[in-house]
Amino acid sequence: MTQQIELSGVNKYYGAYHALRDINLSIPKGAFVALVGPSGCGKSTLLRSLAGLETISSGDLVIAGERMNDMPPRKRDLAMVFQSYALYPHMTVEQNLTYSLRIKGVKKAEAKKAAEEVAAITGLSDLLHRYPRELSGGQRQRVAMSRAIIRHPKAFLFDEPLSNLDAALRVHMRKEIRALHDRLGATSVYVTHDQVEAMTMADHVVIMRAGVIEQQGRPLDLYDRPANRFVAGFIGSPAMNFIPARTSDDGTSLILDLPGAPVLAMDLDLPPGHAVSVGIRPEHLSLATADMPGFNVPVAAIESTGAATFVTTETTPEIVLVLNGRSTVSAGETIHLTFEPKNIHVFDAGSDQRIEVGTVLTQAKTAS
Amino acid sequence: MSMTADVYDRRQDRRPWLKRLADASEPYLYSAPALILIIVVMLVPLVVGISYAFRDIQLLNPFSGGFIGLEHFETLSKDRAFYTALKNTLWWTGASVFLQFGFGLILALLLDKPFMGRGLVQALVFLPWAVPSFLAGLNWSWLFNPVIGPIPHWLFDLGLMSQPGNILSDPQYAMWGPIIANVWWGIPFFAITLLAALQSIPRDLYEAASIDGASWFQRFWSITLPFLAPTIAITVLLRTVWISNFADLIVVMTGGGPADRTQIVASYIFTQAFKALDFGYASAIALVLLVLLLAYSMLIILLRQTLLNKG
Ligand SMILES: Nc1ncnc2c1ncn2[C@@H]1O[C@H](COP(=O)(O)OP(=O)(O)OP(=O)(O)O)[C@@H](O)[C@H]1O
Ligand SMILES: [Mg+2]
Repeated sequence: MTQQIELSGVNKYYGAYHALRDINLSIPKGAFVALVGPSGCGKSTLLRSLAGLETISSGDLVIAGERMNDMPPRKRDLAMVFQSYALYPHMTVEQNLTYSLRIKGVKKAEAKKAAEEVAAITGLSDLLHRYPRELSGGQRQRVAMSRAIIRHPKAFLFDEPLSNLDAALRVHMRKEIRALHDRLGATSVYVTHDQVEAMTMADHVVIMRAGVIEQQGRPLDLYDRPANRFVAGFIGSPAMNFIPARTSDDGTSLILDLPGAPVLAMDLDLPPGHAVSVGIRPEHLSLATADMPGFNVPVAAIESTGAATFVTTETTPEIVLVLNGRSTVSAGETIHLTFEPKNIHVFDAGSDQRIEVGTVLTQAKTAS
Repeated sequence: MSMTADVYDRRQDRRPWLKRLADASEPYLYSAPALILIIVVMLVPLVVGISYAFRDIQLLNPFSGGFIGLEHFETLSKDRAFYTALKNTLWWTGASVFLQFGFGLILALLLDKPFMGRGLVQALVFLPWAVPSFLAGLNWSWLFNPVIGPIPHWLFDLGLMSQPGNILSDPQYAMWGPIIANVWWGIPFFAITLLAALQSIPRDLYEAASIDGASWFQRFWSITLPFLAPTIAITVLLRTVWISNFADLIVVMTGGGPADRTQIVASYIFTQAFKALDFGYASAIALVLLVLLLAYSMLIILLRQTLLNKG
């Protein structure tokens, strides 16, 4: 597969501040890549470096086979949708759409026709003669999208394009953007801090923290096999539970650091006597009768959305579990939790890196 | 007493009518103090000044002061010096505003980019604006003076002058002296206002345009200029009116000479009033200037209105 965008060993400094650290990323033609991470991790910096709005300090940036490190933005043939939309306020919607074409010297009638075609796709046909100030937030967003689409660029860059919309419209636009991407056969890089957006829209998710790519891969791979504790905690909502634990002296079971020190005798293959952190997603915990393997915890709070019930336990650290539908559990009660052993993740307590768990042979037994 | 009683009576039987009057006049009564103050401070001197134009007022003639109708204006219509001054005013104002604006815009664009020591440079650039106009005039007339100033010698060395002379006494180029001084003095005004306007343009528009493929000039043309247009219109209007009234530099540097070559209407008024001591005639000229400037301002405002309606 041809690589549309390739970054190798890219670093970016703002003065002494190291904003991007050794970024390596290959984006095949036609891919939809999401960059996610907490605020200030360098997502926008990376995207702007692709666009040429920031110059990278070292490394190589190749777009469609051409080294672009020192190419000014106007020669990179990329389109960008800004979080603020950055529509030209003194131009009508049509003029906004055709600006890039007019600069290229496309004939007036031709540009107008292109604008009408794109407007028909994005549902702006009736608004072509309005000014941006006369549009709603969602309509402005569409104008920003259309302005990018009209150019048939080498790639689309999106910087949190949906963050100014309300929740319902955001979910709707998510699907629309993805459908548009497929329809145009485009290559897209999509920045968001919303991991749900990233997981649902992208073929390839890149998780960043403090200027470093922590992990990248297919959305469900990141969910199933997070490379470290940060990624594990970042992907999934509500976030994964982390329980401090120790491996037994023979390395076959885990001793949780909870009241009563429950032992998960799971026939594991772990470094013996090692401090670890056990990760279990809230949706992978379930209630069980006391005779089933698991551990007992007191309940601190119950929250219900109707479709699901969130139970928070009275432990340090607290454990959250999600139950389908309604539940009769109430605060103060002690519940017995259980889980599938294949669903646990083990991380080194010092380095926070994932420790591969050997084949799990039997279900957990408890000593508490 | 009978009047108060009368008023009282009326109020008794025709209360709604009086009340209506009181209600109607209430806003005027509230704003009366301010209005009276404005009329006294602004309009009275204006009317008195205008009235001079129709009277014979000569400081050295104790019998003057009578009303003479349009006599001043008749004289004025035949006054060759006035027409020369009018022509010179156009030249002086046009060249000064154009150059001040041009250099001011370039300076503002340069100062809009971040660079080392920008704060210091900005402060320095705005310095001329703080120099009193008379001092600026003196300073520049010395700079142009071949005995004490360097400029004639530089021009001579560059081969632009056949000998280091004083351009202020050269009838052909004398006007350039005050114009250069005026440009030096007035650039900061444009630089400050245009810089403020430049800095209010959202940066992401430039980023969007450069991604859309626009070169520096295309960005300037399609983003910077439209955003600056209202500021440009208003500052150019203000400066034009102001500069055509601005006689300080000319009075200090050339006194209108040589041979009236640098005499503008404003300095002609000054000459008539304080050299010839003919206040009546000076007022008449001033009135004509006022009407011309009003007409100009109206024109610009109309132009701006139509442009705004179109855009
Ligand atoms: N022009 C700049 N000068 C100095 N530091 C900068 C500059 N721009 C960004 N930074 C720093 O670089 C880091 C990354 O910024 P960036 O805008 O890429 O974050 P982000 O991941 O997009 O965050 P967010 O989700 O809040 O938009 C931040 O710590 C920020 O303070
Ligand atoms: Mg950002």
